[in-house]
Amino acid sequence: MAKHLQVLGYVCPFPLVEAEKAIAEMAPGEELIIDFDCTQATESLPRWAVQNGHQVTAFEQTGDARWQIRIRKAG
Amino acid sequence: MASKIALGLLCGVLLGFVLQRGRFCMVSAYRDVYLTKDNRLFIATLIAIAVQSIGVYALVELGAIRVAPVPFTWVAAVLGGFVFGIGIVLAGGCATGTWYRAGEGLIGSWIALFGYMLGSAATKFGALKPFHDWITGPKAPDAFVYQTFGISPWILIVLFSLVTAYAAWRHLRRPSVPVPSLPQRKSGLAHLLFEKRWHPFITGALVGLIAVLAWPLSEATGRIAGLGITTPTGNLLRYLVTGDVKVLDWGVFLVLGIAIGSFIAAKGSGEFRWRVPPAKTAVNSLLGGLLMGFGAGVAGGCTIGNGLVNTAVWTWQGWVATPAIILGTWFATYWTMVRPMRALRSVPASGAAFQQGAS
Repeated sequence: MAKHLQVLGYVCPFPLVEAEKAIAEMAPGEELIIDFDCTQATESLPRWAVQNGHQVTAFEQTGDARWQIRIRKAG
Repeated sequence: MASKIALGLLCGVLLGFVLQRGRFCMVSAYRDVYLTKDNRLFIATLIAIAVQSIGVYALVELGAIRVAPVPFTWVAAVLGGFVFGIGIVLAGGCATGTWYRAGEGLIGSWIALFGYMLGSAATKFGALKPFHDWITGPKAPDAFVYQTFGISPWILIVLFSLVTAYAAWRHLRRPSVPVPSLPQRKSGLAHLLFEKRWHPFITGALVGLIAVLAWPLSEATGRIAGLGITTPTGNLLRYLVTGDVKVLDWGVFLVLGIAIGSFIAAKGSGEFRWRVPPAKTAVNSLLGGLLMGFGAGVAGGCTIGNGLVNTAVWTWQGWVATPAIILGTWFATYWTMVRPMRALRSVPASGAAFQQGAS
């Protein structure tokens, strides 16, 4: 099961704060899909994920200043 | 006027471009030391200071530029720095951060920028000026750190550069987990300029070089100073409402250039879009902007003026205001991030804890 998080319009570090909140509620192995548009989060989200042992399963730019990342929770 | 426009914009465009592509963010630099115990970006700011310090004092030795003393208003440096630190966390970006994110099309940063202009202008020339003058009253006798110790600035520069080099070397030597990046679509120079992720240490060194370049460019127009954001930002509003052309100095065109440079960088990398913030972000941006303008106005500089320039030229003002800014960002980080996250962890899988989270 995947959980979808929309943080469009949120500026850093709040996309990261929301991602942390969301992942805290999930079971290991579940996927979190994040749609975001804060440029600096293209750096901070994947870095946060791998540093916390989660796995980035997909990461792409979906449009002008719009990105999507899929993170599988460590477990 | 033509040289002010050309030289100010030149420096600003370069800086805005580098900041946008390098994702240089002094708020994250200070915050991550505390929040994620990650010193990567902080070391990048030390590199920027070291490069600038070496460059500026080399130019002074060559007789190319002058460094004017900055009065050490210690009460104002501590108080203003702390308030500014809180403001940049709320606004989601420091002073230059706000300018370059405005160039990326973030409406939230335009709101923060407006608050910052207003706060700065009110503190420096307006309703809050009496408070500004009162709080900046207490002054310490020495402006420069090396003056107090009676040593050559080069002793400090060499020591600081060695510490920075050691911190950078230790960081680079550490084994790191590879961070996934976006698929490459461009090649050659286009990839390098408009797609590739820049290592923060490279970005820090480039920011330092641009900060050195700022000194002769600014002095050529009669302004004896390096990069500066707060006073020029306040001056821009002052000009807009009074029409007084005298306040349009090199710095005003520098800050305008930052937004233009960032726009070029963002547009070229497919990272420009008008982005509307949720209501709560917008309110935080306005409040953060006002605190930034007031704090930097009182402390005589922002993360650039104090954090990067006053530190690099070794004024007490910079070396006292910068730790105060850092403490301010930690204080605000505790209330907006650390505490809500703790509440969340102590009540697992409960929706109630979400209510108090900063979003």
